[in-house]
Amino acid sequence: MKEITLTINGKQVKGREGDTVLDICQINGIDLPTLCHYKGLSDVGACRLCVVEIERERRPVPACTYPARDGLVIQTHNEKLEKYRRLILELMFTERNHLCAQCVASGDCELQSLAYKYQMDNARYPYSWPALPVDSVNDYLVIDHNRCILCGRCIRTCDEIVGMHTLDFGNRGWKDTVVADLNQPLGNSSCISCGACFQACPTGAIFSKTSAYKGKPEECQKVSSICPICGVGCQIEALVKDNRLVKIDSPDLIDKRGILCHKGRFAPLYKNNKRIDTALVRNGRGKLESRPLSEAIDITAKKLAELKARYGDNSIAGIASSQASNESLKAFKEFITVTIGSELIDTLDGDIYRAIIQGTKTYQATAGLNIETSLEEILKADCILVVGANPLKSHPIAGSYIARAARQNKAKLIVIDQTQNAFVYHSTLWLKPKEGKEALALNILTKATIDKGPKKGSAQAKKTAASLKDINVKQGSEQAGIGADDFLEAAEMLIKAQHSIIIYGEGILQQRNPGLITALLNLAAVSESQSSGKPKIISLKPKGNSRGAWDMGVANPSQSIIKNLTKNGVKALYILLADDYIDSAELPHLRKEIEFIVVQSSYFSPPMSKVNVVLPSPIWTEVGGKYSTLDGVVKSTSRLIKPPDGIKTDSEILRDIAKHIKNSNRK
Amino acid sequence: MAKVKVATVWLESCAGCHMSFLDIDEAIIELAKVVEFTRTPVTDIKEFSSVDVGIVEGSVGNTEEEETLKHLRANCKILMAWGDCACFGGVCAMRSTFDKEDVLRRGYIETESTYKGKIPRPPGVPALLDQVKPANHVVKVDCYVPGCPPEPKAILYALNELLAGRIPVLPSEMMRFD
Repeated sequence: MKEITLTINGKQVKGREGDTVLDICQINGIDLPTLCHYKGLSDVGACRLCVVEIERERRPVPACTYPARDGLVIQTHNEKLEKYRRLILELMFTERNHLCAQCVASGDCELQSLAYKYQMDNARYPYSWPALPVDSVNDYLVIDHNRCILCGRCIRTCDEIVGMHTLDFGNRGWKDTVVADLNQPLGNSSCISCGACFQACPTGAIFSKTSAYKGKPEECQKVSSICPICGVGCQIEALVKDNRLVKIDSPDLIDKRGILCHKGRFAPLYKNNKRIDTALVRNGRGKLESRPLSEAIDITAKKLAELKARYGDNSIAGIASSQASNESLKAFKEFITVTIGSELIDTLDGDIYRAIIQGTKTYQATAGLNIETSLEEILKADCILVVGANPLKSHPIAGSYIARAARQNKAKLIVIDQTQNAFVYHSTLWLKPKEGKEALALNILTKATIDKGPKKGSAQAKKTAASLKDINVKQGSEQAGIGADDFLEAAEMLIKAQHSIIIYGEGILQQRNPGLITALLNLAAVSESQSSGKPKIISLKPKGNSRGAWDMGVANPSQSIIKNLTKNGVKALYILLADDYIDSAELPHLRKEIEFIVVQSSYFSPPMSKVNVVLPSPIWTEVGGKYSTLDGVVKSTSRLIKPPDGIKTDSEILRDIAKHIKNSNRK
Repeated sequence: MAKVKVATVWLESCAGCHMSFLDIDEAIIELAKVVEFTRTPVTDIKEFSSVDVGIVEGSVGNTEEEETLKHLRANCKILMAWGDCACFGGVCAMRSTFDKEDVLRRGYIETESTYKGKIPRPPGVPALLDQVKPANHVVKVDCYVPGCPPEPKAILYALNELLAGRIPVLPSEMMRFD
């Protein structure tokens, strides 16, 4: 871009064409006060604090919205401008009810800091004292309109960064307020509680229930880490005071995977589930009682060694939750396959893995999980197909990417889902197949896409067309419960697209049907006009480290262990839950034939009623570890707080048990 | 040299600013050598004639407070405001967003601990103003020490500036609203 030269405060400074005057001031170290400006957002010139004088302009203009031109002569700081700035601050303080002494943000407030800077020790204007509501219906966030200066940073963040556009201005003039949707309470609106608005708010107008009054930033230690909860792998920056999490922020809202959702930003600060902080052993009366960890380890090792000796190595099975870190999973795999010598190891989501991997093999014999693309491809897409997924709920930042692509890039959004989800409102087309007819619907769409598309002749298309020769669009659409026109319209969109992408999730994965995965891959391969035949597809995997567990081979690729415990004659079961909280539906049926069940877990969960020994696990905030994102990037978390006394890592416990078993073998 | 005469009053407030003033610790001994405190809640003197410096803590919420502040202003050369209440209205001003009658009813009748309550009315008690005001919205104020309460060092800074013959303006690093 062309370089331009300006004169600011008598000095020659350089910038580039397209910069605003504020950009050039910031590049050149000229400190202008701002409130409505926020890095990465569009500028609106709402607060007027950055007003500057420009030669030949009749009046001061906001630097943040003034396009810089070659040769401009600008004054940023003089008596008149500084007087105006203090005047603006006084007007802001008298417009609404700013009472710093009882505000959560006092000490961490941009409005207050500027008032200090401008030595605003009184306000000359009449106070309005408007009666304004406080909206605290949302689980995590409170909007206190008393402290709002209408800078619009929350609104622009919600729209431009998160892509939801839940917030906007409502009403007119002095009645203007920030509203959610059509003036609903935030908790009843389309808000996904990602908290980005809270991070962007310069005052205490939007604050978090979990962080309020826990500590000011200067009293806290900052620790950078990754959120391992859903597999998107967002960057986080935790504020910690006295071994307690005060707040989790994004280090950079505009960074990719930097927005954070409620799971990463707020959930780690809540203590919803009952924590296991000591080892538990079932006593003679059938009750779990607290025992020293060393004793529980001893009991476990003895019992496992005994069963191994009596029934053989394959009488013991291991099942891990894919929420555990790579380190825990590695130690677990070693324990089950080497120390015990058993072939029976699986993950709770192993059946889902097998469906994906088998479905992928049918599509292409050599392909594996690596066939999937990166989440950032969503932001480049001009046509997005969301199949059986509710990303805003399961993987909110993936959902945010989709919302952004649809809103900002005008990407066509096709939803294939039986039930309503939030994307139905963003979508261009909603196809609603009958129950169990998803595969048929996908195959019809694939056929329609091949028939209408320009690449009928390609090898890929021919191969796919051959596999779908029995499908008739007209008849099939009736069976699937979707109009033939809708199929043709969707096919049209896919063909016209330059970059299409398919995202599928729970609704597909829970069916554990490889055929559905093959159908999705076929469709992905024949979509988009410029297609190289390489499918662009992402599965939203069920657990935070599913990809890691699968890549490490903890789940068996061909054979379900979890479903066949009884058939395999399993006598003992070792379940590593780590910090996953599961319901009994996720566990296999634990029959009486299994004599001994050990669970290693951070939380009490329903399956506990059947286990013999419970060993305490730390939670992810208490240990550093590696996790793989759902698109296969390994990222490291750091320890944010210390675990409760006496808690050992998963690997330490597993190694201790292994040592005991080896010793008893020697005897 | 004659001592500088100072009178202080507290209006609608919590006494925190005067407490913070007493927290200047041993500096008060040096101060007492050059300053004579006439009317203050600390000395418990109620009457005073004209003084050099008047100091007001608290906001103005009723007719008596209005009168007290006007009397102080009329009888001092320089008027200084202490604390968020006097400078901005402060916590006391939170009632300004409500109707005066609602506030009285809530306080004297609807409170959970009240049995057969009655709202006290003038002339027995001073009447509430419609809205609580900072000192400078009632009289002219010459200088301000905000904070809830102000830091003792900020109060001392302001007093020393006055003794040195300057009208104090707190430097940014001493400014506090909480």
